[in-house]
Amino acid sequence: MSLLSRLRNLVRSNDLSHDIEREMRFHLDERADDLVAAGMPADAARHEARRRFGNVGIQQERTRERDLIAWLDTFAADLRYALRALRAAPAFTLVAVLSLGLGIGANTAIFTIVNAVMLRSLPVSHPEQLVAIETTGGNSYFTNPIWEQLRDRQDVFSGAFAYAQRTFDLSNGGEARRGDGNMVSGDFFTTLGVRPIAGRLLTTADDRRGCAPLAVVSDGFAASEYGGAEAAVGKLLSLNGHPFRVVGVTDPRFTGINVGERSQIYVPLCSIALLDGGPARLEGRSNWYLHLIGRPKTDLTTERIDARLATLAPSITEATVPPQFDAKSAAEYRAMKFVGAPAANGFSELRTTYRKALLVLMAIVAVVLLIACANVANLLLARATVRRRELAVRLALGAGRARLFRQLLTESVLLSTIGAAVGALFAVWGSRMLLRLLERSDRVVTLDLSLDMRVLSFTILISVITGLLFGLAPAWRAGHLDPQAAMKAQSRGLAEGHSRFNAGKALVAAQVALSLVLVAAAGLLLGSWRTLATLDPGFQRDHVLLVTADLGATAIKPELRRAAYTDIVARLRAIPGVQLVGQSQMTPAGQSSWNDELQVDGYVPRSPHDALAWMNAVGESYFASLRIPLLAGRDFSKVDTPESPHVAIVSREMARHFFGSTNAIGRRFRISQGRTYGEPIEIVGVVGDTKYRSLRDSIQPVVYLAASQEQDVSRSYSFEVRTTTPPLSVAPSVKAAVAAVNPKISLDLTTLERQIDESLAVSKTIASLAGFFGVLALVLATIGLYGIMAYNVARRRNEIGVRIALGALPARVIRMVLGEVGQIVVAGVALGVALSLVAMRIVATFLYGTTPTNAPTLAGAGAILLVVGIAAAALPAWRAARLDPVSALREE
Amino acid sequence: MPKTKNDILQGTLGLLVLKTLDAQGRMHGYAITSHIQRVSDDLLRVEEGSLYPALHRMAQDGWLRAEWGTTEKNRDARFYTITAAGRKQLALEEESWTRLRDGVTRVLRYA
Repeated sequence: MSLLSRLRNLVRSNDLSHDIEREMRFHLDERADDLVAAGMPADAARHEARRRFGNVGIQQERTRERDLIAWLDTFAADLRYALRALRAAPAFTLVAVLSLGLGIGANTAIFTIVNAVMLRSLPVSHPEQLVAIETTGGNSYFTNPIWEQLRDRQDVFSGAFAYAQRTFDLSNGGEARRGDGNMVSGDFFTTLGVRPIAGRLLTTADDRRGCAPLAVVSDGFAASEYGGAEAAVGKLLSLNGHPFRVVGVTDPRFTGINVGERSQIYVPLCSIALLDGGPARLEGRSNWYLHLIGRPKTDLTTERIDARLATLAPSITEATVPPQFDAKSAAEYRAMKFVGAPAANGFSELRTTYRKALLVLMAIVAVVLLIACANVANLLLARATVRRRELAVRLALGAGRARLFRQLLTESVLLSTIGAAVGALFAVWGSRMLLRLLERSDRVVTLDLSLDMRVLSFTILISVITGLLFGLAPAWRAGHLDPQAAMKAQSRGLAEGHSRFNAGKALVAAQVALSLVLVAAAGLLLGSWRTLATLDPGFQRDHVLLVTADLGATAIKPELRRAAYTDIVARLRAIPGVQLVGQSQMTPAGQSSWNDELQVDGYVPRSPHDALAWMNAVGESYFASLRIPLLAGRDFSKVDTPESPHVAIVSREMARHFFGSTNAIGRRFRISQGRTYGEPIEIVGVVGDTKYRSLRDSIQPVVYLAASQEQDVSRSYSFEVRTTTPPLSVAPSVKAAVAAVNPKISLDLTTLERQIDESLAVSKTIASLAGFFGVLALVLATIGLYGIMAYNVARRRNEIGVRIALGALPARVIRMVLGEVGQIVVAGVALGVALSLVAMRIVATFLYGTTPTNAPTLAGAGAILLVVGIAAAALPAWRAARLDPVSALREE
Repeated sequence: MPKTKNDILQGTLGLLVLKTLDAQGRMHGYAITSHIQRVSDDLLRVEEGSLYPALHRMAQDGWLRAEWGTTEKNRDARFYTITAAGRKQLALEEESWTRLRDGVTRVLRYA
């Protein structure tokens, strides 16, 4: 009978016994009828019918037993037996459960994060209906004028909204305290179906030009800031120095629309005018920062939505063409089309950043699990050989081969289930730790890591698969045991042929190969990270405190900003322990970057990209404080004023790229401003090359403009404070100095070293995890090698005893054992190198200064595995050489 | 019930049921019992206690198909039909029965 029909019976066992009862009742009735027809009184007939049938209860039992009781019984027996077998070999069980637990746990941990970041639906009502609007080119950012046109004209959505991610400063001056949230259009909450737990949520009435500063906060934020949802309503909240009144608190189940990003505060879109100090971003036809999402009317198909959007597009674009566009750009703009894309998972910056990293980690832990499987399979094989006699006895006593096979599989699946349970515990801890590794000081990652059906099924699935994977081979071999041969095999004096236990050797070789892949990957990733962490970026990263000051919340008028910055620099310089103070728009490897197209007479770019340079606006002694060498010309100084001719300092690469020579002093260039170019700018200095956005970037052209010549002085500047003491030690004095200029200035402080380290966080996380798993793989491989060699030596005691008795020297015995290991390891290493050459391509994105097929790394990994192999075999070999032939031969 | 000689030899019940269903088509358990008894001129009596477990087993093995229906007397009964797999099994069992019969006959005759 098939397992399936048994399981089916198990599920419908009630139906079944009912069926049987009905069928037997029918039989009794028919028999009684016949007896009555033959002349028996009705009572006697029923009695006779029953008598002939025998005991009805027993009949029922006997029928059902086939399907259910027997099967459950044997399963329970198998389980009991398996538990006893595992208890009988505690060392084996411990090693097996631990390796499986680590393997399954690591997989579950990474999968939990993959699930949360990439697979989970948004925590809103019917997320599957949501549609994000994109342009046909796949761009999902839009301007506010486009949104307003779409909002007023569309007839496809029952609700639609626009939103943008925004980080706020919650403190009212001084060091900034960050809160994350969204600027949302009026229909945001109604379209998503979010309900308040206190107060009310924002509506379309709150989202009008010149709107009142209102905010909705998350339940967690209300709890931590105000001590509860009810208490939060009506309170004033300072956002970038502006007071906002809290009108309501969202349901705790709604964790925001951007997966992975903390969503604490929601303000109406119209409040940008207040936050930015002007409606520029509401009116701007070139400010692309809004995501648009809608919930289509129920009867609309995807095709219909796209068709409707396509007919809407011309009128929307016609009304919103940016005025500065020339005829050609305007025509391109008018041709823009909109399409709907599924938005059930929301948008996530985290997803884009970590997609590759998570996939690499998933691959790494999958290999770890394979190694663990090979390890356990190997242990099981060795054990099966030890248990040959036991199995042979059971076969001889009449156990079916299928039954034996099933028994051993039950044992494996039980083992993997225990492993999965251990792994699940490990995963809960591991996924949380991993999440912390993904964070940066300026980005709080919040993910819903709770167990859901998907994670649960994943864990169950991999534990069953692993159980089958490592259990099948030993079980199959047991099923094909010849009891006579197995019983005889224990007799002495047989020199075992080298061809035996091929399966075990192949498994260890496979383990060595997979370990090599991991060790090589770890080597490449750690090497890359080391290269990145220690390379010379063109500036000196230690002893620099980065101070970013934002004047947005102050009453300082734009025309007085320059004076304020000068004041700040002067006060910072006066702090004891401060050596130099630089000033700049952009900081190295910081969060923002700025590039522009340049025009240089005599330089013909091969493509628009070729004319790009990275830009910065810096003050006096920026180069000195970052120790960027001045190669030619001069630094900016007091003579560079808004009225004096515009000057720039360029990097050596800029000079080389645009002028073909590092001597570019006195040369001029212009910066594109939309379709035209600005005034010519003269180069007065050339400085050394530096990394601009990321240490991974190649050296690219950089242009430094004079901050002192900026026409509309920016609201915010960074200051590079070079100290003689540890940089954070001057932080209190820095805060006091800036507050003395204006207490409402908002400040962000970090060290340059930390900023650079955090820019490498993903590389570091991947490299250290690869290193960790590489070591784990080595440990597992060592256990595997040691296990098989110790077992082989034990098995060959007799033979080795005979050899020694016949005069074999210890050295020869050691050579024999090590030779065997050598063969396995060399085969494994060869296979591993071949595998690495193919598999290493997936880590290529995370490599720096090396290639996926870097020969020294592969050779090094091979050497490590050889050493590990020899080390694992040393103890068994030494034992073999010290064997006392007399006692070895006397045994059995 | 005292053991009588017309109890069915173990292992042949399946053969008899399959043959009956093959010849008669759709039948319920009681009809199978009656049919075997009648056709064998009362030489064979199906032990009712073993019939239903056997029917169940054969249905699980896919030799029979079982379904609920109503008899002429308007009673609920479970009706059995032989399947293609059942016919194959029938051929096998008929053959092995023939061999067994020949073997036993020879032993009785020549031993």
